[in-house]
Formats: sequence, C-alpha cells, structure tokens
Amino acid sequence: MAMPDVVLSVENLTKHFTARGSLLRRSPHVVRALDGVSFDLRASETLGIVGESGCGKSTLARTIVGLERPTAGRVTLRGEDVHAARGRDLRVLRRRVQIVLQDPYTSLNPRRTVRDLLLQPFEIHRDLLPRARREARIDELVELVGLNPDHLDRYPFQFSGGQRQRIGIARALALEPEVIVCDEPVSALDVSIQAQVVNLFQRLQRELGLSYVFIAHDLSVVRHISDRIGVMYLGKMAELGDRTDVYDTPRHPYTSALLSAVPVPDPALRGTRSRRLLEGDPPSPVDPPSGCRFRTRCWKAQDVCATTEPPLTAPDPREQAFACHFPMTQPATTAS
Amino acid sequence: MSSTSTAPAPDVPLAALAATSLSPKRPGGFFSKPSGWLSVAVLVVFVLTGVFGPMLMERPGGLGTDILQAPSGAHWFGTDDLGQDVFTQVVWGTRISLTVGVVASLIAIVIGTALGLGAAYLKWLDPFVTTITDVMLSLPLLPLMILVTALAGPSVTTLVVVIGVLSWPEVTRLIRSNGMVVAAMPYIDGARVLGAGAVRIITREILPAVMPLIVVSVLLTAARSVISEAGLSFLGMGDPSSWSWGRILLNAQRSGTIATAWWQTLFPSLAILLLVLASTIAGVRYNDSRDPRTKGM
Repeated sequence: MAMPDVVLSVENLTKHFTARGSLLRRSPHVVRALDGVSFDLRASETLGIVGESGCGKSTLARTIVGLERPTAGRVTLRGEDVHAARGRDLRVLRRRVQIVLQDPYTSLNPRRTVRDLLLQPFEIHRDLLPRARREARIDELVELVGLNPDHLDRYPFQFSGGQRQRIGIARALALEPEVIVCDEPVSALDVSIQAQVVNLFQRLQRELGLSYVFIAHDLSVVRHISDRIGVMYLGKMAELGDRTDVYDTPRHPYTSALLSAVPVPDPALRGTRSRRLLEGDPPSPVDPPSGCRFRTRCWKAQDVCATTEPPLTAPDPREQAFACHFPMTQPATTAS
Repeated sequence: MSSTSTAPAPDVPLAALAATSLSPKRPGGFFSKPSGWLSVAVLVVFVLTGVFGPMLMERPGGLGTDILQAPSGAHWFGTDDLGQDVFTQVVWGTRISLTVGVVASLIAIVIGTALGLGAAYLKWLDPFVTTITDVMLSLPLLPLMILVTALAGPSVTTLVVVIGVLSWPEVTRLIRSNGMVVAAMPYIDGARVLGAGAVRIITREILPAVMPLIVVSVLLTAARSVISEAGLSFLGMGDPSSWSWGRILLNAQRSGTIATAWWQTLFPSLAILLLVLASTIAGVRYNDSRDPRTKGM
C-alpha cells in the first residue's frame, strides 16, 4: 500500500486540567487527561479510537477541534497548527475540522428550527456562500443525510434521536470539512438506529472523501467503520494499527482484555473463548502509576513495568505499534 | 472526570426547555389563570392612569377650602391639610412612580444582563463580576441612595439613575447562574466549533435562552424600584416640584396630620402595594407559564 497523504497530524498532544486547590489545600490537582498522544490521519481514512470511560477520548476530540487548548503538543491540519492560528486563518482552519457531538438531544439549540441551525454555519462564515444560494445548499445537505427537506421548519424536539444526529451531521458537513471528529456519535442512539447512522457516515465518506476520527467505546461499531484503530488507556495510546491487526492479533494486554470482553453473538460459540476480566477500575489520571500505566491491572506486569515507561513503537513496521514490555505473542482470542 | 456520558434529556434545564412551549396552542399559557390576567389588568390600569390621568385632571393645587376631609363623593380619597385632593395627587404620582420604576428597572436590567451573561460565558470575567456583585449586595443600599441623592440634588433623573445603578446586582446573579447552565450545554460547543465568537454566542445562543428570566427580572426590579422611589421621596430626596406617592406620604408626615388623616397615607400606600403586588405576581406567573414542569398547575 502506498503511503497516502496525511491530513491531520496529532503530535505528542497533552492536556492537563488543573483543579485548583482551595485556600487551605494549596497543592493543585492536575488531571492528566491526555499525556502525549500522537497519530496521523490519512485522507479518506477512518481512525477509530476506543477506550474506557475517562481515558481521554473526548478530551482528544475536543482538543483536535479547538474546544480545548493543549498543554503541550500540536495538532496540524495539512501542516498548519490548529491552535496557533488566529483571526482569519483560524476561521478557515475551523471550517476544515468539524465535530459531531455525542448527545443529539443537547447538541442542538432547542430554540432554533432545523433551517436556522443549518443556516448558522453560513452566518458565521459569511464569505462562504452568497445569501441567495444558502437555502439551496441547505436542501442539498438535508437530502445528503437522508432527511426530508419539508421538515426544515421543525424544531429539534420534533425529531427522533437518529434524525437529530443526522441534523448534527448535516451541520458539520455545511462548511465542507476535510476531517470530521465523531465524539461517540452513536452511543446515545438505539442499536437499530446506530447501524443506520454508521452506514450514513460510511456513505458520506465515500461520496465526499472525508476523513474521520471516530471515537466510541463500542468495539463492534469501531471495528465496522474504522480502517485503523487506536486503543487509549489513561490518556495514552496503548496500541495503534490497522483494524485487522489490532482486532485479530492484539499485542498490548489491555487491547486483548478489552476485546475479550466483547460479547459473542453466536450462542454456540459462547464459552469457547477465554475471557479475561480486568480487576478494579482504571487508576486516577490525577496520580497515574509510574512506568507503564496499565501495570496495576496487568497480569504480565514485572518490575521493569513500574520503572520504565514502554514507548509506542512498531517492531515490525508492517504491523501495529504498541506500548508494552511484554506484548502478547499470539492471538489471545482463539485460546480456549 | 469521565467525559463520555452526559445527562440525558430529563435533566435539560428550564431555560433550555422553555422554547419547547413556544407553540401558540399550548395549554397553561400566561392568561389561563386569574393571577395572570388580573395582574396584567392592574398593571394596565396603572399605566393608563399614569399616561392619561394627568391630562384629564388638574394639577393638585393648594387653593382648596376643604381641608382634611375624610373620603367622600366629592373627594374620593379625602383631602390633605392644604385642601388638595388626595385622589388627584395619587393619580399624578402614578406617572412619576411608574416612570422611575420602569426606567430604573431598565437601567438595572441592561447592566445586570450584560455583566451576568459576560460572567456566565467568559471565564476570565467571572471572578471580577462575582466580586463586584457581592460587594454591591453587601452595601447598605438605602443610606447609599440617600447619600448619593443628597449630593446630586433631588430630581427625578437623579432618582432614576441612583436606583437603576444600584439595583443591578440581583439581576446579575440571576442571569449569571442561569446563563452558566446554558453555557455548559453541548450546543454551545457546537457553535464554537462552527467558529462562532464570544459575542455571537452570548447574544445569539445564551441571551435567547435566558430571555424569559429577563422579563421576570424587569417586572420584579420595577416593583422594587417603585418601593425605593417611594422610600427616597418620603425621606425628602424626591423632586419637590413633581408629584409621587412617596411625596404624598412625606407631606402627610410633615404637616403632622399623619396620625389623624389616615386617608392621606392609606391610599398612596395602597397604590404602591397594588402596583408592586401586581408586577410581582405577573413576573411569577410568567415564569410559571414558561416552565413546562409547572404548566397547567
């Protein structure tokens, strides 16, 4: 496979939230939501990001689109730093990276009609489209995401969750972005609707050549839509590689444990597969473990894991990168 | 810490839900209860009195011979020690009291809303606004108003400005706390990603959401301003050349008839009570009719 061009590049992205100490307790808590995450997103590619609650997935999404300023590291869109841009450059960059938010019930202003919601991007970026052509563009967008243009004058509460998410997608598409960050776009939807919305994302990618950063905690959804997958744990990337590599031969113990927790839809196969249950919860990102962050729950952990942090590297460049001193050697999912 | 789950629909705050009741045929509208139309009717009567009363009635003069008369057919509210008709005075006073109340309330609302919304959305502004608001709220307002009015010289304009400029902290608090709820809604993030700036978000996204509260605040602040105006006028800080309800009380007190001529104090006081009560109830009723949870109650 030839190296496709990189659209979005995340370099050593770090975001620490400071919970200020009170007057009596001076030492401030630092929540290390993101601690040095790097990846490249190629054109027309979907990068799935999975991980437990609190591992920094949403912070990653918010930082990429500029809702949060990174503590360190850079996000570059075709070489331009997203967070260093100001004024006009910033507006243009903003246009090229859009986000689809998680909760379709609260991510649309309840006081605006669908038409107003879709006109808003053009009111903010007045130079994008002359006023006369905006209505036509809105009709086009609505049809693109599979909604009825006759319903443009309805309010969001008159739509179902899936339809609202389509409105959210249409709004993200309005500015013709290159990259769409999807922050758990389907987790608030019914399972039957999830499939429709995921298929919509795939169709839009084919038609418009979009690149997605697709964040979810549902492994099956991510597997369905992603070309490559990144597994996050406590603000760091544990494993990053092609979908088949990560899913079929996970190298990081955390990935393997995560995958073994996916339910098997076939009752005949149930019980034939070893399931590895991790003990406890992820440690607090305020005070992460030394060395490898996963070592407190890892069954393979040894002394070196507490002292030396394993870097994210790919020993075999054709396979995925992982951050582990004692990687899994064979497909864990087939063992019985 | 976990940023992956947000509260589902049931927790959508009042302000954000208010718009769902915009459809015209909704039950439980403002006028569906007596407290709604009654309070508005009273307010309308006061406004009409304030606007047209002084046109229909002569300015109360001191030439009457009917001194200190109890209420009768000729003098509905009786007369004072100079023979001036108290009813005429109350009607003339309505204009000044209403004007002071409304204009002072508008000044307070404009300052209060601007600061409240700014503090709700702009993190760096919040500590300053909160501190100033707290300081303002802890000041003894009445002595301060007396001091400023005394220094600036008594006039209607002074009253309006003093009351308005000292009444915004309550509004700021209310708008700030509700604006913060709206500012934390995901759709605000959505607008930011689209490239909306702070001014656009504050005026187009947060302001409409807290608009119902602003309407309530206007009514409640106007009620308080009327009371402040009456208090200051009673203390002699009003404009000596114009009539207001507080001034009627002041005259009664000055002439020493306050203990005997009950009508001279009762009727202006009743007017104050009625106006304040009506605007407070109208404010509360408006708030209730906007809240889907108490609709139809």
